Amino acid sequence: MSIVVEGLEKRFGERVAVTGLTFEVKAGEVFGLLGPNGAGKTTTVRMLTGLLAPTRGKGTVCGIELGRASDGTALRKRVGLLTEQPGLYERLSARENLTFFMRLHEVDEKAAWKRTQGYLERFGLAGREDEPVGGFSKGMRQKLAIVRTLVHEPEVIFLDEPTSGLDPQSARTVRDAVAELAAEGRTLVLCSHNLAEVERLCTRVAVVKSHLRTVAALTKLRREGLALEVHVEGEAAALLPALASLPFAPAAHHEGNKLKVMLASQAQAPDVVAALVAAGARIHSVARAARPLEEAYLELVREEDEA
Amino acid sequence: MSDFSFARVKAVLWKDLLELKKNNGMIWSMLALPAVIVLVPLGIVRTYVANPSDPNFRAIALYYDFTVDTDNAARFLVDKVLADWFVLYLMMPVFVPILISSHAVSGEKEKRTLEPLLSSPVTPLELVIGKSLASLIPSVSVCLLAFFFLCVGVDLVAWPLAHDFILPNLMWTFGVFVIAPLFAFFGNGVAVLISARVGDSRLAQQLAGLFVLPLVGLAAGQFGGVLKAGPEYYALIGGIVLVLDLAIVFSARRLFDRERLMSRWG
Ligand SMILES: Nc1ncnc2c1ncn2[C@@H]1O[C@H](COP(=O)(O)OP(=O)(O)OP(=O)(O)O)[C@@H](O)[C@H]1O
Ligand SMILES: [Mg+2]
Repeated sequence: MSIVVEGLEKRFGERVAVTGLTFEVKAGEVFGLLGPNGAGKTTTVRMLTGLLAPTRGKGTVCGIELGRASDGTALRKRVGLLTEQPGLYERLSARENLTFFMRLHEVDEKAAWKRTQGYLERFGLAGREDEPVGGFSKGMRQKLAIVRTLVHEPEVIFLDEPTSGLDPQSARTVRDAVAELAAEGRTLVLCSHNLAEVERLCTRVAVVKSHLRTVAALTKLRREGLALEVHVEGEAAALLPALASLPFAPAAHHEGNKLKVMLASQAQAPDVVAALVAAGARIHSVARAARPLEEAYLELVREEDEA
Repeated sequence: MSDFSFARVKAVLWKDLLELKKNNGMIWSMLALPAVIVLVPLGIVRTYVANPSDPNFRAIALYYDFTVDTDNAARFLVDKVLADWFVLYLMMPVFVPILISSHAVSGEKEKRTLEPLLSSPVTPLELVIGKSLASLIPSVSVCLLAFFFLCVGVDLVAWPLAHDFILPNLMWTFGVFVIAPLFAFFGNGVAVLISARVGDSRLAQQLAGLFVLPLVGLAAGQFGGVLKAGPEYYALIGGIVLVLDLAIVFSARRLFDRERLMSRWG
């Protein structure tokens, strides 16, 4: 186990930033941390990297107990954190920025540069090492910050929104790099608002919103709520009122003659079909479909609002 | 504190000096005050040397000391202005580290570099020491350089009158090498403590800058003839600052907490 936390909570004065965090992350896993703005993802990651001491609960990262100040340095030598803001020194060159962190980590600079050069090439930053970072674009800064996170070869890597602000191609490069790091057997924790990205990279996810909403394998999360894909004659949009009149009023998307209806359980399927037929729909086919992560996620976050 | 690492202190020192070197605006502001501190007394000494028998100088000398040998009034006044000037020279070791440190400490917060920095193995103690050295080394160097130029300048300008080297004398040498570093330590400490609490580097600079004012008050007292500057007088001031330095070290201990830095700085 790379990360084990139990009942972790962080308060800032009276305000509870996040509470009830209980989950485990296995070594070599890519773990997603999802939640709306202000849900406490960054706070969680800060606790797990020893930047903030938990107010309550306990946990270990790389076998090192959280909240014991004396172990902070030992913990930080083994984890890497990509912060929400790249936080680079603008007057310094890319090379100087990276050298600084190599020295803070007291790694062998020659060996570290060998590896680092590979990342710089992959990210298209090679050849610009000696320019001041102040002249870098947003994407270049983000990529440089990711390289900086890796200078000491951390076992567990925390990435707080690594692709935010990147163009599609750069985001792709970053995602490929993340996948490669995972393939090297490193543990990754990924905070992201990009659900497609989470679906592609993560094996398990935790959804937080002030408190832990769920922890599950991605496949399970998508299976949990089912969806029906219905092909009808004519415009599917005309059938939405019929669905809304059902007692469980399922959410639905339509696109041309295709209708995707979200179900809470398999038992709702016959009622949906009956309601559509009663509304005069001419149905060509009905198929079960996996629900996209987005739906499962929005539902989890919504339930929380009502609770 | 068991995991204190000099290598990390050195890394912080290296990074901060590098940033300072690349900050032209900061370099020029660092040099402005020393230039004034060196050039103004040269101007004053020059007026005394240019016309040593000016009867006005006797009157001024008598105002400060009615036992003065009026035939040597100009020489008396040269010695007096140099003794008095040291208190203004001391503004430099207070002000230059304030300039550098408040920028270096609040800057990490303003530029959002503090969080990545604190997520590295560096401890807050190492950070504060590294940053303080990165402020004290250039500050003390500037002060020594300014003293060198002051000595050369005064001796050149005053030679026709004194036919001897006036500076360095014992009081100035002791002051520059012992009292000035104590003041630099004080200025840096005040700037670090204030910057850690207020996030804005300009505000931190201005607040810390207020600590220069007592020196201006002392200078006013001396030139007004109320206070008499001399070795004992400066030794007393040095002693007071030494006590203040110890108080700073004591109150800075509470700074050495990552979480406090995160919530105050980040
Ligand atoms: N230093 C702090 N002092 C006081 N409150 C804080 C502090 N840091 C975070 N909070 C609060 O804790 C809550 C969680 O914030 P956090 O930054 O962890 O959310 P997040 O999930 O990362 O959001 P986003 O998606 O916008 O990045 C918010 O209500 C925030 O205002
Ligand atoms: Mg966040």
